[in-house]
Amino acid sequence: LNADPNLTLRAFRPTNASLEAEYNNMLACIRCGLCLTSCPTYVLTMHEAEGPRGRVGMARALAEGHLEVTPDLVEHELNCLVCDACSAVCPAGVHMDPLQVELRAALAASGRPSFVQRLVRWFVFAWLFMAISRLRLVVRAIWVYERSGLQWLARRSGLLRIVGLAEIEAVLPRVDGHFLVPRDERSGDGAPAAFFAGCIMSTALAEIDRATWRVLQRAGYGSCNPARQGCCGALHAHSGDLERAKELAKRNIVAFERSEGAIVVNSAGCGAMLKDYAHHFRHDPEWSSRAAEFSARVRDLSEVVVDRLPPLTEGTPRKVVYQDACHLLHAQRISRQPREILKRIPGLELVEIAEAGLCCGSAGVYNVTNPTQSRQLQRRKVDSILAVSPDLVVTANPGCLLQLRAGLGDRVPVKHIAEVLDE
Amino acid sequence: VSAIAFDLRALVDDSQVIDAPGELHTYAYDASFLTQLAPRAPDAVVIARSTDDVSAVMRYANERRIPVTPRGAASGQAAGSVALEGGIVLAMNAMNRILEIDAPNMQAFCEPGVVHAQLNEKLAPHGLIFPPDPGSSRMATVGGMASTNAHGMRAVKYGPTSAWVLGLEVVLPDGQVIETGSVGSRAKQSSAGLELTKLIVGSEGTLGVVTRLRLKLMAIPPARAIVLGLFDVLERAGEAVQAVFGAGVSPSAIEILDERCIRAINLYRPAMQLPSVEALILFEVDGNPPGVKWDAERIVSVISGLAVRAEWSDEPARINALWEARSLVGAAVGTLRPGSNRAYCGEDICVPVSRIPETLRAIQDISAKHSIPIATYGHIGGGGLHPGHLIDGRSASEIERVLRVADEIHQLALRMGGTTTGEHGVGAARAAYMPAEHGPALDVMRRLKRALDPNGIMNPGVIFDVPNLPFELPLNAPVGEPATAAIDPG
Repeated sequence: LNADPNLTLRAFRPTNASLEAEYNNMLACIRCGLCLTSCPTYVLTMHEAEGPRGRVGMARALAEGHLEVTPDLVEHELNCLVCDACSAVCPAGVHMDPLQVELRAALAASGRPSFVQRLVRWFVFAWLFMAISRLRLVVRAIWVYERSGLQWLARRSGLLRIVGLAEIEAVLPRVDGHFLVPRDERSGDGAPAAFFAGCIMSTALAEIDRATWRVLQRAGYGSCNPARQGCCGALHAHSGDLERAKELAKRNIVAFERSEGAIVVNSAGCGAMLKDYAHHFRHDPEWSSRAAEFSARVRDLSEVVVDRLPPLTEGTPRKVVYQDACHLLHAQRISRQPREILKRIPGLELVEIAEAGLCCGSAGVYNVTNPTQSRQLQRRKVDSILAVSPDLVVTANPGCLLQLRAGLGDRVPVKHIAEVLDE
Repeated sequence: VSAIAFDLRALVDDSQVIDAPGELHTYAYDASFLTQLAPRAPDAVVIARSTDDVSAVMRYANERRIPVTPRGAASGQAAGSVALEGGIVLAMNAMNRILEIDAPNMQAFCEPGVVHAQLNEKLAPHGLIFPPDPGSSRMATVGGMASTNAHGMRAVKYGPTSAWVLGLEVVLPDGQVIETGSVGSRAKQSSAGLELTKLIVGSEGTLGVVTRLRLKLMAIPPARAIVLGLFDVLERAGEAVQAVFGAGVSPSAIEILDERCIRAINLYRPAMQLPSVEALILFEVDGNPPGVKWDAERIVSVISGLAVRAEWSDEPARINALWEARSLVGAAVGTLRPGSNRAYCGEDICVPVSRIPETLRAIQDISAKHSIPIATYGHIGGGGLHPGHLIDGRSASEIERVLRVADEIHQLALRMGGTTTGEHGVGAARAAYMPAEHGPALDVMRRLKRALDPNGIMNPGVIFDVPNLPFELPLNAPVGEPATAAIDPG
């Protein structure tokens, strides 16, 4: 026995200052294990370190100085999709998203990335997504690639496979050449609403943004499209670049302060991030109240149109699967409204699939950073969908949309809910 | 790379062996507060995929005298699946196949890692159910349930897990594989020899490793109803339970929630809107529809003189909402005091049904004495009580006080003529109470243990021995004022 007769019970405390802000969140985990079966990576591996309880446990041990940053710890933490399925079922109130954001920032600060990694990070986070004009430029280049025959050539020549880009290339959407550029324009004079156009949504998937704009109009909103808005910062936050995420957040807060009414989002991932601005700025005296005000106004498209859309009289009979976006279902706890909206469409029969709440593997840039797990989850989701033989799959997030389109190919079409409402 | 992990890689696939520091840490604890205070990472973890894997690991460990701790979901609250002496953790959660559902014989064959709720989901289309139902149904594995002889809410009518296990495949500490309950049998009963199944069930991984279970099933009762009784005086709640038993009704569950639990549920599920009273009791009755209605009405009439309100419902939505709230209250009580969390210790006593009100009052006194808020709920029909202590882990004083609270609650249970664990198991957390609880019978248990595990490699520190901890339990310092002076303020 090595029992200490003098009894030394130590209080739980963080010794790692960079993890202090989320330490209470870590302590809230009482390790009951309820989260395990909700976690996509745990379900794939049955490995404790690949589950939420293990990830919180490692983060806490890191915060308390009981663990060091080791490659296995980094790997398992970064394998988290941040889908928040665990947060949604946690009876003790642990919230995985802010915990991962904080942890990844700390890991990024302590890591020694290679030159190539630093170059990629700089390109994506410091250059591409910091100014939407640059993103437009790149998406325009993709548009040219798709339309000029270069894509045909790249795919046929096997070049993509040789340079290891075949997987990423397959997820590329058919880019819309006509981008949506917010310029403070307004539509109608109904109840005020401010439209958050997004980055991927307003460029590569601009037609969905235009459909959303029309749906808002039909639901009786007088929308405005505030200029100088930009990327929500979710990609940065989940990749350990909280500082740039906050810089982007500030720009959005300022851009929308001139508008009125709900801030309407058609991308679940952006919506969850915009609603989290309040949390990320909670200790910032200058920005906390402005961020809280902003977050309080954020609404998903389905939330604001569910009770306002005029009923449709006709529709074609079809069987539809609504695939919950994790950042809508788990992070924002929104599942009823999109289903109600769809059920009201004449002829539309809504069917549920097995493991409906399990992530499809898209998760922001996860399909690029973790292609193996992403593909496994994609296959699992595709199998669940095909098992009910639907005519259409509907979702409410660009990532899920592209992931499901890539997975389903031409077997079942996939649409954003705004497109379905705009038909 | 540890030497143990190196050897294990020769026995099973590389991918099944875990020995990286971060990964090992995630196997250093279960839900017990004890393992938050004293987490202990094993030297290696093996994710078992087959009986052969388990057998090979056991043979190796037995030859080398390396401790082996079997582990399911680690949702246990008694430090029963943590390698307190180091060695190997055998993770059984990936052996999670339901091998066969034999509907005509009402039996299921499955591996130990199957999660309880998922088993019942798979049985439902056959009209069958595995009745033991722990509140942790959505996390607990059937292997863990068997190893702790888990009871759950409906044990008052259907009995514990042991009543529903017909046979087991067990890997003994020397690697030999045996089948209990008659080899290849599908009989529902047997008088052939010693009941080894019952010896293994509840042995918490100290005698062998369960690798397959033959479970007894029953038809899903066609009807269920729930009676909600609200009591402004605790003692009347106790009387009500005795009155119901006396009236010839056999409820399938009788659950009590105290005032703090009611508040926790209202915080976690605001739509429930439960009224604030000293005690709330949920009676569940099941069976055929006319019988269920008769039972429910009978309970309402029997308790209405004692309760401030009594009503029944057979609305499935209402029943499910109440049960969901009940099953999650254990973890949800943490929301009662911002900055505090539930500490699982002294959380599972069982006392004679007649002494429940007295015990609940005594728990409130212990709570007041140490200034540790306690929300208590439990299976009042069987006498099981789960006190939920709330502490701020950033306070060394509160950590010390909650350990004293746990000790006093365990002593209380024994004084009341009860037990320190009604259904969660002894683990390391309650091993110190076993001499007082069993007297000379503990020595008989130890002799059985030695007969099966002569080298003492199976889950050491659990049930039979005092566990290897950095501090001694129960705390020996004098109990009284919060003894902050004795504590390293950290």
